[in-house]
This record gives sequence, C-alpha cells and structure tokens, in this order.
Amino acid sequence: MSAPARLRMEAIDKRFGATIALDHAELELGAGELHALLGENGAGKTTLMNVLSGLYRADGGRVWIDGRPVDIHEPRDAIRHRIGMVHQHFELIGALSALENVIVGDEGGGLQLRRDRQARAVAELARRFGFELDLRARVASLSMADRQKVEIVKAIYRGVDVLILDEPTTVLTPGEADVLLGTLRTMAAQGLSVVFISHKIAEVLGHSDRVTVMRAGRTVATVRTSATGERELVEMMIGERLVRTAAPPPRAADDTALLRVEDVNVAGRGAAASVDGARFSVGRGEVVGLAGVDGNGQRELVEAIVGLRRTTAGRIEVGGRDVTSAAVGERLARGLTYIPEDRMGDGVMPSLSVAENLVVGLHRFVMHGGFAYRPAAIRARAVAPIADYKIPADAATPVGVLSGGNIQKVLVARALAIAGHGPTKLVVAHNPTRGLDVRTTEFVSGCLVGVTRAGGGVLLVSSDLDELMQLSHRLLVIFRGRIVADIRAGEFDAYRIGRLMTGGSI
Amino acid sequence: MTALARRRLADATKYVVAAAVATVAGALVIALMGGNVLSAYRSFLWSSLGTAGGFAQTLNKMCPLLLGGLAVGMARRAGYFNIGVDGQIYAGAIAATGAALALERATTPALAVLVVAVGVIGGGLFAAIPGALRAWWSVNEIFVTVMLNFVAAFLTEYLTTGPWNDVMAGEAITRLIPDAATLPMLSVRAGSHVGIFIALAMAGVVWLLIERTRWGFEVRALGDNARAARVAGIPTARITFAVLIASGALAGLAGAIEVTALHHRLILGLTPGYGVMAILIAVLGQSQPAGILVVSFAMAVLLVGSDSLQRSIGLPASAALVFQALIVLSVLFVDARRAVRPS
Repeated sequence: MSAPARLRMEAIDKRFGATIALDHAELELGAGELHALLGENGAGKTTLMNVLSGLYRADGGRVWIDGRPVDIHEPRDAIRHRIGMVHQHFELIGALSALENVIVGDEGGGLQLRRDRQARAVAELARRFGFELDLRARVASLSMADRQKVEIVKAIYRGVDVLILDEPTTVLTPGEADVLLGTLRTMAAQGLSVVFISHKIAEVLGHSDRVTVMRAGRTVATVRTSATGERELVEMMIGERLVRTAAPPPRAADDTALLRVEDVNVAGRGAAASVDGARFSVGRGEVVGLAGVDGNGQRELVEAIVGLRRTTAGRIEVGGRDVTSAAVGERLARGLTYIPEDRMGDGVMPSLSVAENLVVGLHRFVMHGGFAYRPAAIRARAVAPIADYKIPADAATPVGVLSGGNIQKVLVARALAIAGHGPTKLVVAHNPTRGLDVRTTEFVSGCLVGVTRAGGGVLLVSSDLDELMQLSHRLLVIFRGRIVADIRAGEFDAYRIGRLMTGGSI
Repeated sequence: MTALARRRLADATKYVVAAAVATVAGALVIALMGGNVLSAYRSFLWSSLGTAGGFAQTLNKMCPLLLGGLAVGMARRAGYFNIGVDGQIYAGAIAATGAALALERATTPALAVLVVAVGVIGGGLFAAIPGALRAWWSVNEIFVTVMLNFVAAFLTEYLTTGPWNDVMAGEAITRLIPDAATLPMLSVRAGSHVGIFIALAMAGVVWLLIERTRWGFEVRALGDNARAARVAGIPTARITFAVLIASGALAGLAGAIEVTALHHRLILGLTPGYGVMAILIAVLGQSQPAGILVVSFAMAVLLVGSDSLQRSIGLPASAALVFQALIVLSVLFVDARRAVRPS
C-alpha cells in the first residue's frame, strides 16, 4: 500500500458537551481496500465515520482526498466527494419499492421512460456486484439482509467510491454475513474503498485487508490483517488481557427441570400465533440458549414465561409448580426473574435512585410492616451490589444518568438478587449483552454462568449466535413462533443454526 | 456541594426569579392602569397577611388549595393527571351535605367527624370511576375526570336548586346543615376554621405514604416507568385504582371541609376553579407535599390580596388570574432556559 492514500483523516477531534468523543483520531484508506474499523462500543468508530460522511462536524483535524485537503461540513459535501455511508438503522421507506428507495431524490420528472432507464441502471449495478434482489418488492416485505442490499445499492447508485458500513453484520445470520462480506470484497476488487465498522474480531480477521483499532476516541493502531491475530486485537481494543467466559460442563444426571414449558401458544397480532406450541425445559445447572432472527416470537415467548403476556394454550411450570396464570409478582416470589431486552423501557425507573432500582422487585420480600420504606436501609442494601458489580455511582444517584452498560449491571444485580431469594433460581435473559462493551459483556456472561454453578438455570435468548454457542449447554432455534431445533453443545454449527433460523431444514 | 444540593438550589432560584418577574410585571400592570404601585402592593400584603381577618381568609383559602394540590400531586407521582379535582370536591361536598341533612336531628359532636368521613368517601368513590377505567381498561383518566367535572357541577346545581334548596334564600344553595355537623372555628372573631390544620396534617400523611411506605415506593416506581414496574412484579392496576381513589378522597375532604367549616351548606360555585389552580400548584410544587404546601400558601395570599386590590384600586377580578399566569410562565421560562443551556 505504498500508493498515495485515497483518503486520510488526520487528528480529528470531536466533543459532545464535556465528553470527548474523538481525540486526534486518524484513518487512512487505500483505493480498492477493504478496511475494518474495530473497537468497543463508545470507542468512537461511528462518530469518526459520521464526521467523514458529514453528519457531524469535527471540532478539529483535516480530511484529505487524493492528496488534497477537503472540507466536509454536511452530508451533501460527502456525497460530492463520493463518500457514502450505510447506517446501522436503515433509512428506507417501507411503503416504497426497493427500486424507488434506490432512486429516491433522483427521480427527475414523472416520465415513465426515465424510470425505465433508471430501473435498468439499478439492475445493472446490482448484477455487477452480485446482489440478488427483487427491485419491485416493497421494502417493508424484505428481510433485513435484503434491506441492507437496497441501502448499499442506493449508495453505489449515487456513484460513491468510498463506502462506509456501520456494523453491517449485526442484523444478519452467519450465512448472510458471509455473503455480504464476500460482496464487499468484490466491490473493493473493482476499485472502491470500503470501510466496515465492527466489534467482531472473527469477521475482521477473516475479511479485511487492514484493521484500524480505536479505543476511547483515539486510534490505537492500523495493522495489516495478515500480520495480526485475535489476542493482539483484543488487547488493542480494551488495553488489557481478557479471560473469556465459557459454559461450565453441565451437571451430571440431574434432570430436575426448573422451568418447564409445555405446548405454549401466544396469540399474535394477525391470524398466526406469535408462539406456536413451544415445548422445552431448563434443567438445574443448565444454560439453554434460544436462537432466532429478531421478531420470530422470542419476545412473546419470554414475556409469557415471566408473566407479562397471556398464553392462549399450554402450561408453564417453575420448580414443579404451575404458574401459567400467576401474576408477575408470584413468579418473582418463586425465584423466576427476568433481564429484559429493552433496558430503559422494561428495566429501570430512570429517576429513581440506583439503590431503589436495585431493590424494586425484591422489595415485596424485604419491606415489611408499617413504614417499611427506610431510606437508610435501602441505601445500605445497595452498598454490596454497587461494589460487587463495580457500578461507578453513589446509591442515591438517579439510575437514568448511568451508561447503558452500568444500567445493565444494575438490572443483572437485581435479577440475581431476586433469583437468590426464591426457592427456584431461574433467570430469563433477553439479549443481556446487546450494546455492551467487551468487558461488561464478559462480566454479564460470567454472572449468568455463575447462576448455573449455584444450582440455578438460565434461559438465554439472544440474537448474537456467537454468545449463544459460547455459553449454552443446549440451543433451541425458533422460527416463526415454532421451536424448530434442540441442539446439544458440541454439535453446534453456526451455518446449520443460521439456516434453521431462516427457515431452512438441517 | 453534592449534585442533589445543587439541584435544590437551582430549584429555589427558579422560584425567586419567578416571584421577582411576577412582581415587576404586576407593577407594570398596576402602573398602566393608573394605580400607585407601592400603595397597591402594601394593600395587597396588608389585606392578606397583615390583619387577623385577612390572614384567616388566607388560611381558609389555602385549605382547599393545599388539599387539591395534594390530590393532583399524588396522582402525578403515579404518572396520572387528575383533572377532576373540582368534580371530586363537589362529590365530597354533596356526600357530606347529604349525610348532614339526613341526620339533621342528631346532636352528638361526633356527627361532624362522620359527615366529613362521608365526604371523603364520596370524593374517593367519584374518582373510583376514572380509576377503574384507567386501571383495567386503559381509558385515559384525563378525559374521564374532565367529563365528570360537568356531572358533579350539574348534580350540585340540581340539588341546590331542587330537593335540598333553601326556599327562603332564593339562591342556588341548600338548607343549613345542623350545628352538630359543623367543624369548629379557630378564631370566631377572625373567621378562620380548623380546616387548615386538617389540610396540613394531610400533607404530612401524604408525604409519609409516598416516601415511607412500600405502597408509596410502588406508586413512585409506577409513575417513573409503568412497564418496568410491571416487570418488577408491582400490581400496577391495583395501585392505579388505589392512587386515583386516594387522590379523589383528598379532594372530597376539601369539599367536605368547605361545607362543614366554611359555608355550612352546599352552594353552587363552592369551588371557583380550585381544581384548576390545584394543577398549577402541584406542577409548581413538583408534586412534593412540601412544595405544594408553600405554593398553595402563596396562591392563597395572591387570591386574597388581589381580591383587596379589586376593592382598593379597582383592579378587575381577573387580575389574580393574570398574576397566576405570570408566575407560572416565569417558572416555565426559567426551566426552559436551563434546559437550553447544557449543565
């Protein structure tokens, strides 16, 4: 890569209020290069790319393109310099067709002739990069993978030669992710410079030419992918060594089911049930994973188990007792607890204090008698969990001011305390590590594994297949409300599971 | 200084600024109307705080304002808007009057306690309607409470002009309730009644309930995030129902006190919009009993004081409303300014 860089970002600074998001961050991009931007959440990857695509204005630093300094103040400038970005949350219009979404903003007059020409141009582009895509389909009816293709085609239709993708594989199954990364390789081979943001080391190692690692708003290093390895990248990302959590061997011959779900149905919005005949159990000392593409009934099933949603058929047992129609509070009393996916919506009371958020749910078992709410006692209860879980806050701090990772620690601490209080230790965790940095992820995983060591059970529902395979003793796959597979550890195969998740067989 | 102390100080500043803005703006209004600003303000304060009679009036006014503010504030803590305080005041007043008139021949002094208790129950039951609809059928409590205000007002009109009408008076008022059903005066000469003590006691009770009981903790959790409260096993429907009943009961108490301590009968126009002022008071007092107490006192001073300005310098009756609006706008303005500047 001795040729002059296609693009260079130099000493980029960006502050949000008192927070320093970027501190002299750098990036260099060659023509025809597939470049990975790696880092933990909050490391500044997306911010740096938002500066490049004109969404944010840098407080300092320069951008060079083909050796010339350029000013990028707004998205229009980026487009003029042929830079395009595909965001993590797609910006498509569901009611329009794929084609209309690609050409939106470039429709011109209403002449059908022009539309036909545009359609041909888009189809040609899609073919050139190997996208199989029905351009007439309404975007709302497309899968996540197809929507992403529409976004990419939209960017290249505008003639970009620097394409940025923000965490493009998080919405994809492993098979789809491979296809996408292969396509990105094709694009690079045709001369485009492609940057993909990621926090998954495996895909970075497997697919990029070079990696730039960011940590805390700074660029740590840019290295050739072929000259580095997993351990080095992790150390650069987090600044220290990391011990990965793994599922302990399952307990021998103890088939006491802590949770038994028998032929449970949950009504859906339309005619189809959102959960259809779910049947499984979670044993003592067991982590049971539930894999599936988001929106296949996981949330409904989980909410039925914890008591937030009514079942239309079937039976749910916790520790041998029927709780099918029991209130949430009764299930908590049995020791069945829930780490919800939507932390802010279903988890915390943002203006209540850390101490109060740690005790809510448990409060019915610890506050007795007349004036049972004693602030000093509530705060005292919080001292141990705040220390154990390394929550960087005072017991009286409103929980809403904490970061996502620390809020999750509060929720995990609370859930484990409730589980420890009931006769059955059973934790239902829905995407418990989504959006957390590597260290907090390991911490939370460690907590869940700890539950099984203490004789409890965990139902782990996650859209992160790597996490499921790492922690589960058994893995269930859910597709359109039906559990389509039950696989034991040792027989996990990401590709097979990925096919099952999208409705394939075996 | 801790973050909490800083926030408290900022809050206090907000009210000082609001009071200052309202004072200056009020002076402008008075001057524009050709009045002498200094003497107007002197008369304002003298009439509401300077004389025994004026102070008694202020306390009497403060009683329904404080109870109404507590009613709105309590519902707010659970995340609900009780816009029906006026209706619940009437419901309490109707229930109390009905009980007193039914027991016209009783002479025991315990009758007053019974009558007030019936008023409390009346207000609570009236609020049980929006409470149940909200708790189990997710019907917006704002609409229900607003509509029930009309129901209560028309029922009062019917009773005061119809079956309970005092035929001698020729007004929309009922017969007097028996002496045994009336609450004692604090000072007969000044004209203050014991209602203010009941209201102050209720401020303490509400504080204890919300801040020191498990139930109050659940109310606060519900008000902060209803979904998360459900996840935490809190019986949210039951709490919702209970909170709205308690809120209505506080308003009903205010209505019963107005009947048994002040008017000694039910009158049409018993509440000149206390329910609406109660919303302002609860918002300005940040739904905290202590804040509501301070604001309701200030509001009572404002009402009594501007009433006297009407007499002394011919300020129109609506002037009090203008002052209220100025204060609220000033507070909102300072709040908005603070929101704009990131701390």
